[in-house]
Amino acid sequence: MSTLRTTFEMGVREYARTPILLSLLAFLPVYLILVFHWVMPESRVTVDIPIQGAMSAEMTAVATVLTTPMAAAFVGGAAGLFLMQSASAVDGRLAIAGADAVEIVAARGGVLVLAALVGSVVSVGVLSAVMSVERLRWYLLAILLVALLYGGLGALVGLVLNRLAGVYVLLFGPFFDLFLAQSPLTDETHALAPFLPGHFPMKLAFDAALTARVVPRNLWFSLAYLAVLALVVGLGFRRGLRVD
Amino acid sequence: MTVSRPSSDRLRVGLDAAVREFVREPINVALLVVLPPVVITSYESMLSAFPRLPYMTTDPGALGATAGTLFVAAFLPAVIGLFQVISAQRADERLSLAGFPELALFVSRLGAVCLATLLTAALSLGVLATTTEVESLALGFLTLAFVGGLYGLIGMLIGTVLPRELEGSLVLIFVVDVDEALASGVIATDAAATKLFPLHYPHEVFQAAVDGTAPAASDVLAAATYGAIVLVATFLVYTALAATGGGGG
Repeated sequence: MSTLRTTFEMGVREYARTPILLSLLAFLPVYLILVFHWVMPESRVTVDIPIQGAMSAEMTAVATVLTTPMAAAFVGGAAGLFLMQSASAVDGRLAIAGADAVEIVAARGGVLVLAALVGSVVSVGVLSAVMSVERLRWYLLAILLVALLYGGLGALVGLVLNRLAGVYVLLFGPFFDLFLAQSPLTDETHALAPFLPGHFPMKLAFDAALTARVVPRNLWFSLAYLAVLALVVGLGFRRGLRVD
Repeated sequence: MTVSRPSSDRLRVGLDAAVREFVREPINVALLVVLPPVVITSYESMLSAFPRLPYMTTDPGALGATAGTLFVAAFLPAVIGLFQVISAQRADERLSLAGFPELALFVSRLGAVCLATLLTAALSLGVLATTTEVESLALGFLTLAFVGGLYGLIGMLIGTVLPRELEGSLVLIFVVDVDEALASGVIATDAAATKLFPLHYPHEVFQAAVDGTAPAASDVLAAATYGAIVLVATFLVYTALAATGGGGG
């Protein structure tokens, strides 16, 4: 238990020691969400909301509901990518010193969850300052799921690719998935969309933001996707720690 | 002791070092070659699922292919520019101390970004030409090379001011994706603020190249002015911080 706590505290301290990073984590979601909120014209568009079908909504609201998970996904994804790579050298030494690999993985996962939580709370906080959603807690949960899923994907990318390639994937990944594939402006669901990580949490997010009802099934599918991803990342990370 | 070499030698050495550093990782080279077709075809495919909304000037699939080409040409040099500056920060400090002029350091870093820019622009345009008729290939190539250079400089600027990989990458991701989403044509906005984003004017010029119409002189002039300002700003900041060890990190 003490290894878990120490490694977790080390990871959190590494973040807390860099005030620029903390300021960016707070400022960048504000920038992304507010830019879109301000530049959108005051017009209405027809959107396809999972639980209700076609409905008319303010363009500003649609853009804000779309960009909030993007902000959380970028923060979570970048945290996952850099966390796994910067921690690997330290964690390798911890493993050699006898620390339990499962505890090390759990501690790093804990830091990632914390970063995703901060990114989600900040993003939803900004959204709440400019509009109100129908089911705030469900919406926050959906955004947290997006941040965690992209945090896991960032970590996975960090295990497989170098940082330059990882950043490039993060530049396009959330944009393709959240902004294009899961957009409620589309006529029909793209064939790839149901397999992308943002599919179920974005359904949950749009239901929670624009209607009074949500479909719990989207939560269960999101959690299942997250569990599989966490398992793959955990195994990959643990494999990297193996001391033979 | 200072190194006394002709300036052309210094540039060549600096450029060689920057290029070698990049190609040392095969995954970087693979990215340059593989990502343009993947990103452009994915973009076209994703936007094909959209209806033709009243504000769209062409069918969404074609809009996606054009926008995807512009983005892939712009953003790969941006990431390369960012990582070039961050990874070479200490080497540049030492070279500066050893007598390398700051201008030579800057030009050699920018030269490596420009090589990637030209390669990405040619590949992107080639991929686009397989699905869309590009009426003016020369203007299209020049525009793509310009946006690559512009975003390469922006990547270098971010890397100089924030010479840490996580922080620099976070800023780049947010800057790029706001620009990407606003210029994509997926959403309609006529707010004056959108004209401040780097891709706004090049997007207009590139669309003219695809359509075969003459680009508006005001768009070309605005894009060139934007590029000149970013070039001067990046050079000044780079010489003030990165090459002399003044950057934090």
